[in-house]
Amino acid sequence: MKTNLLALGLALFGAGAILGGCSGGSGNATPAGGGNGKDLDVVSFQGGFGIDFFQQAAKEYEAKHAGTHIKVTGGPRVWEQLRPRFASGNPPSLTWPGWGMDYWALIYDNQVFALNDALKTPAYDGKGTWGDTFDPSLLKLGEYQGKQYELPYHYNIMGWWFNPDVFAKHGWAVPKTFNELLALAPKIKAAGMAPITYQGQYPDYTIKGFLFPWVISVGGIKAADDAQSLVPGAWKSDAFLQAAKMIKQLRDAGFFEDGASGLSHTESQTDFLQGKAAMIPCGTWLESEMRKTMPAGAKMQFMMPPVADGGKGDPSAIMIGIEPWIIPAGGSNHELAIDFYKYMTSVDKAKQFVTECGTLTAIKGSDQVKLPPVLEEPVKFYRASKTVYSIQFDTWYSTLGTESKNAMAALLNGSVTPEEFVNRLEAAAEKVRQDKSKPAHTMTH
Amino acid sequence: MRNRGRTAFIITYLAPAVFLYALFVIWPVIQAVGFSFYKWSGLSSNKTFVGFDNFKSLFHDSVFWQALLHNAEIFIIGGFAILVIGIGIAHAMQGEGRFTKALRSVYLFPNIMSLVVVALLWQFIYHPRIGIISSLLGKPAPSKPGAPVVELSILGNGDKALPAVIITFVWFAVGFYIMLFSAGIRQIPQEVAEASKLDGAEGFFRFRKVTLPLLWSVGRIAVIYIVINALNVFALVFLMTQGGPDRKTEVMLTYLYEQAFVNSDYGLATALAIANFVVVMGVSGIIMRLTRKDPSGVPA
Repeated sequence: MKTNLLALGLALFGAGAILGGCSGGSGNATPAGGGNGKDLDVVSFQGGFGIDFFQQAAKEYEAKHAGTHIKVTGGPRVWEQLRPRFASGNPPSLTWPGWGMDYWALIYDNQVFALNDALKTPAYDGKGTWGDTFDPSLLKLGEYQGKQYELPYHYNIMGWWFNPDVFAKHGWAVPKTFNELLALAPKIKAAGMAPITYQGQYPDYTIKGFLFPWVISVGGIKAADDAQSLVPGAWKSDAFLQAAKMIKQLRDAGFFEDGASGLSHTESQTDFLQGKAAMIPCGTWLESEMRKTMPAGAKMQFMMPPVADGGKGDPSAIMIGIEPWIIPAGGSNHELAIDFYKYMTSVDKAKQFVTECGTLTAIKGSDQVKLPPVLEEPVKFYRASKTVYSIQFDTWYSTLGTESKNAMAALLNGSVTPEEFVNRLEAAAEKVRQDKSKPAHTMTH
Repeated sequence: MRNRGRTAFIITYLAPAVFLYALFVIWPVIQAVGFSFYKWSGLSSNKTFVGFDNFKSLFHDSVFWQALLHNAEIFIIGGFAILVIGIGIAHAMQGEGRFTKALRSVYLFPNIMSLVVVALLWQFIYHPRIGIISSLLGKPAPSKPGAPVVELSILGNGDKALPAVIITFVWFAVGFYIMLFSAGIRQIPQEVAEASKLDGAEGFFRFRKVTLPLLWSVGRIAVIYIVINALNVFALVFLMTQGGPDRKTEVMLTYLYEQAFVNSDYGLATALAIANFVVVMGVSGIIMRLTRKDPSGVPA
């Protein structure tokens, strides 16, 4: 009997601990935009760029505006700390919550302050409206039902990378088409390198690095827009099937690094920088992410993903992504938060960010500085591009995002055929279409 | 009068513990049950009552059943391995030899390590290139297009990932069970062991007929612990595979995390927590019922 009680107690405690971990609370929200008007609580994701820049900007702003106190804090998984703050009605005044935050759930839940009126006010330096200072194509990404909720700061360009020294040494030309890639890959293998490696533990890199560039290359931008807009049949269109077949072809030919499916982003990127693989898909954050562990003398240069031969897509199409800032509706001192963000997005500060952090910003004219060498090529392609696009479906519809990653992992593992792959994606899209609780989004060009 | 004083004495001593238990265990459980009837993002105080919808979606969700199956595999395969290895090593450790002493000083090492360290350590062991397993089994990549692909990845491979996680789970957990069985074996009266020896019971026969029945009560506790650990496994899986590749290592609690923190569906996540609670309680109850008597029919 004692044993029974003890065992039951253990079971109860174990299960109770789980349940306890899921409980949350609800509190009274701070009156929207309230506060004493002088204090600002800024919380930022602390990734490769750190938060020093924002802390310095806060100090400068305090010096210019007597009596203001701006506290900038951050963390590498800051969204986990922010969730309970939002739930309890105590969010920060201004935040970049990072890639792990479900921005759209916040927006649907009326937790984000709409900035349409603020964007009509003068810019920090007084030249034109604040809204005019942003690149409109990037600003558009944070809009929902005519309201501006997210504001871009920096943005990334997605593509492939190669080591120019290695290519020059072997006399290899950067492949511009898929057939050129297929012709080059055996030569790379013969030189003892894997032609391509990828971040296998995080299949979103290959969705953005292989799948979508080839979908667009085969079927044009409409094929991708239709899929993101959940047009019936779009996820199993011929463009998706062909793109999946191209990925399978590379896999079956042994052109991917062995074991890449088990590698993390930093492991695969290290392999690329150590010369174990010749090419890798990644965004323009690659250099800043790998700076500390980069082998001496390692070089990286941006290249466009090779396009499908005979495809009808724009070969100059280029993918960008933003990681936006928001002003929580329940945060304090909206006016001050807006003004501080205006200061951060002033052209001078944005230029400084480009120089110091080595990435591009959404502020017009901020790239009119001496760019870090690693950004020169991606900016050249970006400026020359006639089609700029962004992947949004995974944040709009998280279940579809997760299923696309799982299906991509299965395709790269060889456990599903391209046909099964596209059918899985279409089935996941259909589920989202049936879920009336998820607001619909449309992607157009 | 004396009885009343005794009751007051007991209440005084029990009250703080009961209060804390109620506050930090019972109340959150009740709250969680409440949340499971709502559509709630977990990002605001806005909740919509949806009745049993979350439970219905869970019941029709193939991923939930897939995750539950993986939990069951960890429990059955991992649990069996833990019991066999645990009892075996505990039995072997009863001697006084040099090897036995050395074993006694190291068997708990994996168990006292942080789970994060364990996950990282085994990620290195399973690493496609620098890992010891891949180094032993790996072959050079095929050079001709069309040649079979050599897949060195273990955690990235759908067929190998779950067995790899189960091995790590056993490695991490087994020390505790060795300790448990070791203490159980030491509790067996010396005279029983000696009497059985005099009667000619030796080796595996004595182990099966004498030691094992006398370890029955400890074994029950061990199995309940394994149920809890296997059905509540989270950190190890999350750190090693995040439930991947392609959900091949998804377990109930990694799926719960996905619902809460990726899909912002706290209602469904808490429904999953309730389901997990029911499964843990149910399996524990069944095991207790089935093992209430040892094989010879003596109540445990």
